[in-house]
Amino acid sequence: MLALENIHAGYGPIDVLKGITLRVNEGEIVTVLGANGAGKSTTLMTIAGVNPCRQGMITFAGEPIANLPVHEIVRLGISQVPEGRRIFPRLTIRENLELGAFQRNDDIAGDLERALDLFPILRERTGQLGGTLSGGEQQMLAIARALMARPKLLLLDEPSLGLAPLMVVKIFEIIRAINQQGTTILLVEQNANMALHIAQRGYVLETGRIVLEDSAANLINNEQVRKSYLGG
Amino acid sequence: MKLRFHWAFLLVAALVPVVGLFVPAARSLGELLRPIFIMAILALGLNILTGFTGILNLGVAAFMALGAYAYAILTCDIYPFQFGFWPAVMLTVLVGLLAGLMLGLPTIRLRGDYLAIVTLGFGEIVQDSLKNMDVITKGTQGINPLPGPTFAGYMFRSETYAPWYYLFLGFLALVVLLNRNLQRSRVGRAWIAIREDELAASCMGVNPMKMKLLAFSLGAAQCSLAGALWASFLGSSGEPGNYDFQVSIIALCIVIVGGMGNIAGVLLGALVVVGCNSLVLETFTNFLKAHELISSTNVYTAPGNWKYMLFGLALILMMRFKPEGLLPSRQVKAELHPHEPPPS
Repeated sequence: MLALENIHAGYGPIDVLKGITLRVNEGEIVTVLGANGAGKSTTLMTIAGVNPCRQGMITFAGEPIANLPVHEIVRLGISQVPEGRRIFPRLTIRENLELGAFQRNDDIAGDLERALDLFPILRERTGQLGGTLSGGEQQMLAIARALMARPKLLLLDEPSLGLAPLMVVKIFEIIRAINQQGTTILLVEQNANMALHIAQRGYVLETGRIVLEDSAANLINNEQVRKSYLGG
Repeated sequence: MKLRFHWAFLLVAALVPVVGLFVPAARSLGELLRPIFIMAILALGLNILTGFTGILNLGVAAFMALGAYAYAILTCDIYPFQFGFWPAVMLTVLVGLLAGLMLGLPTIRLRGDYLAIVTLGFGEIVQDSLKNMDVITKGTQGINPLPGPTFAGYMFRSETYAPWYYLFLGFLALVVLLNRNLQRSRVGRAWIAIREDELAASCMGVNPMKMKLLAFSLGAAQCSLAGALWASFLGSSGEPGNYDFQVSIIALCIVIVGGMGNIAGVLLGALVVVGCNSLVLETFTNFLKAHELISSTNVYTAPGNWKYMLFGLALILMMRFKPEGLLPSRQVKAELHPHEPPPS
């Protein structure tokens, strides 16, 4: 569904990604693991079109999408939940969700219902301003908002960041549920343990290069991964 | 149902000339309201940019000038076009739309302060060009005389009062209605999203460049409309100096004092800012003169001449005590008072 071929991208004179090749098949949850600064977020931002791709090919459903404007990529069916959530803090929950469906005008009310079914806690607060939610609720709102675009592929950037352990478990349950409803997911995480438990496959990123690629089950048992990312 | 301030404003304003038939004071109030209507249309144009989309524009007077001159060239009998009022106004709005697009296209990628400087420069360039292209614009004389508007066979004359009043009020109501619908539309949502967080907005599928250009053109078109109406009222394009930086700043004052991003706020702002200028200060000056409390030879003693200083003081006081304006939009209020509970 999504394929990256030898991607180079970065900021200023520095290439953060030095030839990333990865693929996501339809229906999968694929996770990208790595330490701070390895290039995980840059990979997602490059796919989403926020960051220019300097070299290499990105194809989505067979179409090249590298360096298309962000809004075009959303239209093709890739939605991003950006790092740090970036909800609209001074718009209401409902307005946030409606903006998620900006590219569409069919059955938005129905999708709003489905999103609120997935996150009942948001339903009680549709008129409340986004900024008044807790961190976990904001993460839920960001995911719900991305789903409003009816993406084929959902890009998630560190959904567990800064959340209480119980909330992390909850968010990962929801991610698995979204996947089971048919949305393909590319998940960037520092919480390797949680990510590998819901993903089918994973990639390990180190200083801009893929150093490992395997099924999630194998990665959990991999000596190197255990040492570096799973705490022994 | 709660009666919104802007509809109440328009309703009360519509009654002023009727009351004026019986109460002479209402008539002089009505005469003061006409320029307020025009400034409100100008400020609502700026509000699309600054209030909704978050783009600071310091040159709206230039679009007003373009509107006034375009209208003058289209109607004045020294030019070959000699359109009537209605087609000329429509074409002027189109000219404003294109002018906004042409200024926006090369500059819209600039951010914040840099774009503000461009609009500031544009304001000066337009004014100087109008002064110097005297073959077309008649330099500092302005283009005149212009024929009055006609409506269903009725000819507007400069000495009449109520027809002009209702003409401007009608246009203002139209602009308010248009902006109201824009604000609630998909486009309006996109503008507010861009103002809040441009990157997040583009992740929602909003094309920020397209939406900002749209804001630029629609804002400019409204400012041109204000210019055309003003020119038709004056019977002249006015001279280029009528559309100087101070006009742009007054429009910005109206938006800030009234409440950024809120149509009702902008109407209130126009009432307060222009009203203070032409009603309070002038009445006070006349009162002092009548009682010989100030000398007529020393200009410094007339309060009317202190207006820009008083405006400045008012802006500083607003920033200190009510930075969101008198009637702010919900988002601006939440931005400046993050700890107060929002209205449910």
